[in-house]
Amino acid sequence: METLIGLNCSTVECNSLSPSAPIWQDVLAQAMTGELIAAMNYTSLSEICDDPEEVADALEHAQIERGHAARFAAEGRKIGVDVPNNVDARHWKRLREAFMGCVTERDFIGCLIVQEIMLESFAVASYARVAKVAPGSLGQTFASIAAEEEEHVDHAMSILRAERALDVQRFDDKVYRLHLDVMTTLAKMLAKECKDGHCEVCHGSCVKPSLFDVSLSAAELRGVSLQQYLKTLDLLGIPGEVTLTWVAQLPV
Amino acid sequence: MGGSIASVARPAQTIARQTSEVDFALIGHQESWRAAADVLAVLRGPEHAPLPNDEIRDILPWIPPRAVCHVEVGSIARAQARGLYIDSFIPPDRLEAAYVHENIARVRGAAACAIKAGAKIVSLGGFSSILIEGNFDQLPERHDTVFTTGNSLTVGFIVRGIKKMCALEGRDLRRSTLLIVGATGDVGSGCARCLAPLVKRVLLSARNLERLRRLAEELHADGVEVEIATDLVEKGRQQFSAEADLVICAASLASPSLLLDRIAPDAIVCDAGYPKNLSPSAPMPGAKVFFGGLGQITGGLSFAPDFRGVLNRHPFPDVVHGCLLEGMALALERRFEPFSQGRGFITPGRVAEIETIAARHGIYLAPLYNASGPVENVLHRRPNGREDECILFDAAT
Repeated sequence: METLIGLNCSTVECNSLSPSAPIWQDVLAQAMTGELIAAMNYTSLSEICDDPEEVADALEHAQIERGHAARFAAEGRKIGVDVPNNVDARHWKRLREAFMGCVTERDFIGCLIVQEIMLESFAVASYARVAKVAPGSLGQTFASIAAEEEEHVDHAMSILRAERALDVQRFDDKVYRLHLDVMTTLAKMLAKECKDGHCEVCHGSCVKPSLFDVSLSAAELRGVSLQQYLKTLDLLGIPGEVTLTWVAQLPV
Repeated sequence: MGGSIASVARPAQTIARQTSEVDFALIGHQESWRAAADVLAVLRGPEHAPLPNDEIRDILPWIPPRAVCHVEVGSIARAQARGLYIDSFIPPDRLEAAYVHENIARVRGAAACAIKAGAKIVSLGGFSSILIEGNFDQLPERHDTVFTTGNSLTVGFIVRGIKKMCALEGRDLRRSTLLIVGATGDVGSGCARCLAPLVKRVLLSARNLERLRRLAEELHADGVEVEIATDLVEKGRQQFSAEADLVICAASLASPSLLLDRIAPDAIVCDAGYPKNLSPSAPMPGAKVFFGGLGQITGGLSFAPDFRGVLNRHPFPDVVHGCLLEGMALALERRFEPFSQGRGFITPGRVAEIETIAARHGIYLAPLYNASGPVENVLHRRPNGREDECILFDAAT
């Protein structure tokens, strides 16, 4: 897997005088890394699409995600920080591998489930929450990207609902199998404390304890993300009592 | 908590599906963090360590309303009904007025789940009915689903419990002074209508003076001696002129300020609140406290997954709150109608009617108990006809 922009924590610049700038720097770094992973995922997806229209769609999505990453980088510059990224960071790498597993199996539906149901639920919910507290254009950018990501999800939902209607049991089993891999990793990323060591994206020590300084908290970001995930699964038609058990069994 | 991928990465489980019809849905919420923790522990299963308390408090408020388990109830008349328990996931510490809009949204979400599942009748348990009491317009478009607050059967079981406790204690109901706290609510006013003709005097307490006056006038018209007060004690002075020896607590919230130390020292106290109105440490030495409004199913009750004793946390099996039992009884009777619609509709006649329906299916007043355990030496009826004697606890609290 390629690292699109090399990460070297010691050289990451923070020239801002704002005491909260280093916190936003790490928040932006996570968001930017997520967008770059999404761009890579859509590019990979295009390689297994048979329909030229689907290929074009996937490549267009990849371009949009790269645009999101660029906008996050620009927001960093506005507050005087360089926004690093690391698509090889431990959790992000694992999420990418889960997606690539579906690509290897040429499982188009599996790819949509991972990217649109799981990763985008996390992105939409956490960006929307960050948008509520981030100052000025930073907040506006998070809000506007959250809205665009939500449109992606809507687009995929109709395809996934149709697929589920063909064989409910098979579809739900597939979602559960992917849930165990992807959502377990996301749950660890979203845990209140990083118990497995440094996430390899934050530029210094873990940003989570500092989130309170910008009216955020790791618990809240996890909460909104899992809530959005459950609601998205509801829209797919998977029974609520089933998905509740899935989420209840995730690590904290 | 496991925390490792290996702990959850077992072979993909086959999702158990119950495709049968949904006769009823029960909407509820947990009354304590302990209860919420137990629900989450069942969902996590034995292979995962229980969540720490701080994680439960962080996670639960974000869970959208949803079905938790399937419920099947049997009848002594050989009827069967299938349903769902849907939790609104109202956090136990967010029942105050400050959260009312958030909580209404949660109940609406739970109602939407019931409608989506095709439930024919929905019982609104605990706080749920209070939030939409008498205002069914706030519920989502209902299609063929009807809603009941379930409070008629709750009132029936409270009244039966009071009568039974009086009999156990050798009290004459006709010489008693009855105090109802939360008197203008659906349950409180229903109890007033049922019990006022049977006691010597009635004291009504609630926050809304205008509603208190209306209820008092209604009871006066039937020749009942009534006093009202918006607080039991004001400026250090007891508001009622007489001490109550029968008390029903039917307020919508736990009320440490009820100051029930002002009641008769050996009063019979029915705590019918959900959550409980009285704390276990309430200063009432000598009072005979029992939890009211509970019924017991004798025709069989099962949950899938198995939430026995978790969703119904009582010292006796198959005991359920009356409000939820009402929906089950109506489903067993195949009477899918909005039997209890909110404040002002509960009359002795309606209470008798729902009790008759419930009894026809083997749903009776539950054995009386309180925080210390059973308050009577009970012979517990088993569905198979056997009777098992429960351990006798000291009734004094």
